[in-house]
Amino acid sequence: MDTLTQLIAGFAIALQPINLFWALVGCALGTAVGVLPGIGPALTIALLMPVTAQVAPESAFIMFAGILYGALYGGSTTSILLNTPGESGSVMTALEGNRMARTGRGAAALATAAIGSFVAGTFGTLALTFLAPAIAELAFIFGPEDYFALMILSFTSVAVVMGTSRVRGFTALFFGLALGTIGIDTQTGQSRMVFGTLELLDGISFTVVLVALFAVGETLYVASRNAQVQAVMNPLSGGVWMTKEDWARSWKPWLRGTLIGFPIGSLPAGGTEIPTFLSYTLERRLSPHPEQFGEGAIEGVAGPEAANNAAAAGILVPLLTLGLPSTATAAVLLAAFQNYGLQPGPLLFATNPGLLWGLIASLYIGNVILLVLNLPLVGIWVRLLLIPRPYIYAGIVVFALVGVWGLSTSWMDLALMCGLGLIGYMARVYDFPIAPALIGLILGPQAEIQLRRALAVSQNDWSVLVSTPISATLLAIAALVLVLPLLLRRMRRVERRIEEEAAAK
Amino acid sequence: MPPIDEPRGGAAPPRPWWIGLAVLAMGLVWIYGATSIQSTTAFVGMGPEVMVAAVGVGLVVLGVLLLVQIRQGVTFRPQEEENADADAPPSRRAFLLSLAGVALPLATIRWLGFPLTAAVGFTLVTHAFGSHRTLFDLAVGAALGGGAWFMFSKLGIDLGPFLPLIR
Amino acid sequence: MLNAKTTDATPRLRRHLRRATLGLAGGLALALSAGLALADPAKVLIPANPGGGWDGAGRQTMAAMNQAKIFTDGVNFTNKGGAAGTIGLAEFVRTAKGDDNALLVTGVIMVAGVITNKTPVSLNDTTPLVRLTNEYNAIAVPADSPIKTPQDFIAALKADPGALSVGGGSAGGADHVMLAMLAKHAGAPVNKINFVAFSGGEILAALGGGKIKAAISGASEFRQFAQSGRIRIIAVSGPTRLEGLDVPTLKEAGIPVEIGNWRGFVGAPGMSEAGRKAWLDRFAKLHTSDVWKATLKNQGWEDAYLSGPEFIAFLKSEETNWAQALREVGIVQ
Repeated sequence: MDTLTQLIAGFAIALQPINLFWALVGCALGTAVGVLPGIGPALTIALLMPVTAQVAPESAFIMFAGILYGALYGGSTTSILLNTPGESGSVMTALEGNRMARTGRGAAALATAAIGSFVAGTFGTLALTFLAPAIAELAFIFGPEDYFALMILSFTSVAVVMGTSRVRGFTALFFGLALGTIGIDTQTGQSRMVFGTLELLDGISFTVVLVALFAVGETLYVASRNAQVQAVMNPLSGGVWMTKEDWARSWKPWLRGTLIGFPIGSLPAGGTEIPTFLSYTLERRLSPHPEQFGEGAIEGVAGPEAANNAAAAGILVPLLTLGLPSTATAAVLLAAFQNYGLQPGPLLFATNPGLLWGLIASLYIGNVILLVLNLPLVGIWVRLLLIPRPYIYAGIVVFALVGVWGLSTSWMDLALMCGLGLIGYMARVYDFPIAPALIGLILGPQAEIQLRRALAVSQNDWSVLVSTPISATLLAIAALVLVLPLLLRRMRRVERRIEEEAAAK
Repeated sequence: MPPIDEPRGGAAPPRPWWIGLAVLAMGLVWIYGATSIQSTTAFVGMGPEVMVAAVGVGLVVLGVLLLVQIRQGVTFRPQEEENADADAPPSRRAFLLSLAGVALPLATIRWLGFPLTAAVGFTLVTHAFGSHRTLFDLAVGAALGGGAWFMFSKLGIDLGPFLPLIR
Repeated sequence: MLNAKTTDATPRLRRHLRRATLGLAGGLALALSAGLALADPAKVLIPANPGGGWDGAGRQTMAAMNQAKIFTDGVNFTNKGGAAGTIGLAEFVRTAKGDDNALLVTGVIMVAGVITNKTPVSLNDTTPLVRLTNEYNAIAVPADSPIKTPQDFIAALKADPGALSVGGGSAGGADHVMLAMLAKHAGAPVNKINFVAFSGGEILAALGGGKIKAAISGASEFRQFAQSGRIRIIAVSGPTRLEGLDVPTLKEAGIPVEIGNWRGFVGAPGMSEAGRKAWLDRFAKLHTSDVWKATLKNQGWEDAYLSGPEFIAFLKSEETNWAQALREVGIVQ
């Protein structure tokens, strides 16, 4: 139990008052930036790096860990209460969470998100502590064709957020895919669909699309149709705590979300979004109340929120064990290590165990701090909904502006925000779902890149896509997920016909 | 096939044929864009134009399907929201005011700066939602915008000069 | 009488008030101008988002300058990322004209970006100051690869360029161009090379897992993986071997290819001669300081100090070399 003794030594470091203080600062800061669209943990850590030059490395990394986890806790809050996700990993949370908030169950949604994040964060950190070296090997097993199959499986999540009409759902999906093709193609260096605009060469920022379709579209829609509406349901009517039934319906999604999130998060091209898509799909398929999905099913909040926190623990696996940064946040953390003249990887565990185990121990502590910080806040956050509507929506617009303008003070981004905001408004007026557009925007470019890498390596031999056990299995699951419900429906119809015929006789 | 909605209430259901046309047009733009990407450069495997073309074709097909559906009488009912009455006639004034609040920064942020722009935008949106307290709203907006500006500048996030006019 | 008193008192009060206001305003103005004269902070534009290579180059360099007491008036950083730094370059040329304290972080990626993106502004519109650092590239292969020497690599490239999948950073960057130069040396058709672009750490996982046959990237990225035995570095692209790395340079192997990812600073367009000299002096002082040596070591940067007219000549040669290389790879028509 060498790991255990080192972990205890790590706790001795992380529990020093000064380090506890930095953990608290990081958690609070992380929660704050998580609430804001566009300003995420990567940017915050990057900006704080020079500030921490005076601080011991242990303290700095303990604070960074707090920011990393805190941002995920904060990201769910605005998703649930205001239907404006703060981070891309919270898009799926908005689907059910906001419905819950609108029926007075916002507190339960926030609570299941916070506790689910805690459960997933803790289990994720446990896995990081004891399984990291083994899981890190996954990075070398996954090839482009396996990633492509994983993306295709994630695309099946579109099917469950399609809304009332398949044609409209696919239109939204293809709109997102189309936005995703804009910019320089990394594989050949050619510019695509930029129409000579320098600002579009890096593609349309995800934040701008997120803010425009959700925050701006929502504001325009509610403004134009809110004149006659007065009776607002008391947002606190559902109580401020989870009911027994909520607990019973939440704990399995928490665990399943963790199981999906951690391994995918630890892949170099995994990220935190894909696990949330997969978790949402899974929960909708497994739920005994599928009819509640779209109307505020608590499983749809519990699963994705657990998944994205477990994935956040996952991204630390390749970073700490191999020195591989897999997300923007991980890349910034790697730069932070280098600022102290440290290179993460197996050598660091030997040369600087105090720092690494202190960091890992602080992840456990950070999770506890965040839970303690967030649960009492739930009651306060929910009261946000009591602010008069003009000020809530005007505030949303100001913070949307902070997110988009603060990104790179680009006029073009503001123009895109207005244009896409109008499209978000249209989508609400004509009942097009929004989630498929975001799924397309996130997954489209990744799937394309992995497909093209696979084909380049195989020199255009398409059979490469099913050449590994992983890719073949994932594609088979994807096919099943799509086809099985159709088959079941047909079988049920046949059964019913047989019954009817029998009854007629 | 999607269910065909029964029109509710007295108002005629909207028939947005132009949405179908817009999707179709977007698809054509993407197909055109794909043809103008040079695929002669050095690479192995799939070229950079394939994805763009595929998305374009998909959009064209969906545009046509939307047109067919609209012709068949499928209606597009606004989404129900607890804060918004889907069947109420939309208020043009409120919509334009809130849109102005969102679009205002395009015109003013470069010379009025972030805090003031945020204040005016804030006020436009509150008025779209029926507020009449112009001065109070301006003050709240300025406090919010100015506060955000100071906080983020401290953090190192650049929101432009405070009041570019004076510089 | 009462009346007279008030009329008498009012002007006096007003006078007092006026004097007070004037004094206050004057004092404020004095304090402000004194403050401004004391600290005239540098305005450094970083043409990339926080966290990347240029961000580090800008912030670490200015921090070292402050620490070495060479320039202590403070620095205002602005990040303006996008399009290989050309958006930041355009912004810099537009807004910083004639400002002796405005600096832009630059590097080879921007030189290439100006050419591929056909931007209307170029580094010629700025006042070139110094090249500070360089990161040389390396070629690495999976640990069990039959390719063991630079010559093996060239032979494989010559035999069937398409079958040799080589990973690297984004297309049109230093890694891609280096592969093209190697293919040209091998006598293989440049338009048949199989360059697979990766971002971030994915390339190391793909190489370590044997998904690609070889990879070209910054030498420091490969180092730790080579030490743990997952991959093997077979050549470096600099003029000399790297410290602590027993790997031949391409030059030693008879392959005349030298390419590196250099970074440096340029000043505002129309910077005064005095301003230019002041900054060149500061960078010269920085280059010899111990603080800077420690920074180089921590960041894994190679010292590549080149200043004044030599740097201007170097920029010119880089522009022509890259324009030619990018045409050959087929990125620029």
